[in-house]
Amino acid sequence: MTKNRRYFMILLLTLLMTLGMASLAYAAGGVVPAPEGHTPHFPNWYAIGWTAVNFFILLALLYKFAFNPINKMLEERTNTIESSLKHAEQVKVEVEEMRKEAQANLAESRKQAQEIVARATKAAEDAKNEIITKAQEEAENIRQKAYAEIQAATEKAKIELKDAAAMLALMAAEKVLERAITDEDHKNMVTKFINEAGDLMC
Amino acid sequence: MFTFGMLDGVLFHLGPIPVDHIVVTQWAIIALIGIVAFMATRNMQMVPRGLQNAFEALIVWTYDFFTQLMDKEHIAKKYAPLLSTFFLFIIVSNYSGLIPGAGQIPGYQPPTANWNTTLALALITAFTVQVAGFAEHGLHYLGHFVSPSPLMLPLNLLEEIAHPLSLFLRLFGNIFGEEMILAFMLFLAPFFVPSLLMGLSVLLAAIQAVVFTILSANYIATATGEGH
Repeated sequence: MTKNRRYFMILLLTLLMTLGMASLAYAAGGVVPAPEGHTPHFPNWYAIGWTAVNFFILLALLYKFAFNPINKMLEERTNTIESSLKHAEQVKVEVEEMRKEAQANLAESRKQAQEIVARATKAAEDAKNEIITKAQEEAENIRQKAYAEIQAATEKAKIELKDAAAMLALMAAEKVLERAITDEDHKNMVTKFINEAGDLMC
Repeated sequence: MFTFGMLDGVLFHLGPIPVDHIVVTQWAIIALIGIVAFMATRNMQMVPRGLQNAFEALIVWTYDFFTQLMDKEHIAKKYAPLLSTFFLFIIVSNYSGLIPGAGQIPGYQPPTANWNTTLALALITAFTVQVAGFAEHGLHYLGHFVSPSPLMLPLNLLEEIAHPLSLFLRLFGNIFGEEMILAFMLFLAPFFVPSLLMGLSVLLAAIQAVVFTILSANYIATATGEGH
């Protein structure tokens, strides 16, 4: 579509140009005339000289407006591109360095975290063990103390019981005999009784 | 006699110096190229756009073209502006013959269809070749006239004359012939028929500009190259 339009434009322009030339020719003389003129004489040194001068004027103009500014711009562009590329290379190296550093940091951090976790785990384990040991020790202490207390109380009760029994036995014996018991009797009876009672009780 | 507007008359005098029609046409062409160049490079941007891009591409293309053609880069760098100017001047001159009115309005004709113009251009090339040879090789350049043996001196001298002569006649012959045929066709059949030939002329004008420039570059390269 675009291509066809382009060809159509070219054809149109060509026809327009032809028509333009033809109408110019008609305007000049009604019918296309053979234009007037005479063969250029040769050599026309004035024309040759003028052409050379004109050529160098054009050369100077192009130096001023084309070659110099364009060369300068090209040089500038080369420099800019070179420096841009260099800068890009530098940035790339920097990024690579930063990446490596970050990776090293990450590895270090990971290692440290692992260490911390290990240390914490170990500390917790130690604390646990310590607490258990302490608790066990304390329990043992309490048990022993209680046992000792019980022992003491038993002993005490035994002695108290012995005294009471002796007193009762004495009173009962007095009643039975209805006489005072001599120290000798007393001692014997008591001992005998206690031994019997003690055997019974224990 | 049909001369088809190939009027080589004096338009006016600048003091004692006569100014021909073709000289004025050349001025118009130079002004056109100069204005385009000025517009293109007036506000140079780092990233080229539009006219600047096109003009830069043209200059860089011609420069690259001549660098490839010549062995030595410093020679190419030195003479590329001259050759680019040849190219621009000749191609715009040739195309000026396609503008309606060229060859019909008396006095208005493409400058390159006039043998005085092409002779001037060929002479510039001839002198440039000799100057370039001396500048590159010094007096050793004279040695190439007698190489490979002094017997070749007449032939070598003839070659130095034949080169610009061929440039002069080729460009003139092609453009003049094309203009003649165009004018004659317009005279015979003003509608449609010349369009075909005009299409061909567009190609021919560009080819002649390229040929003139390439040959000039080649002569300069030969004169400055090794082996002299």
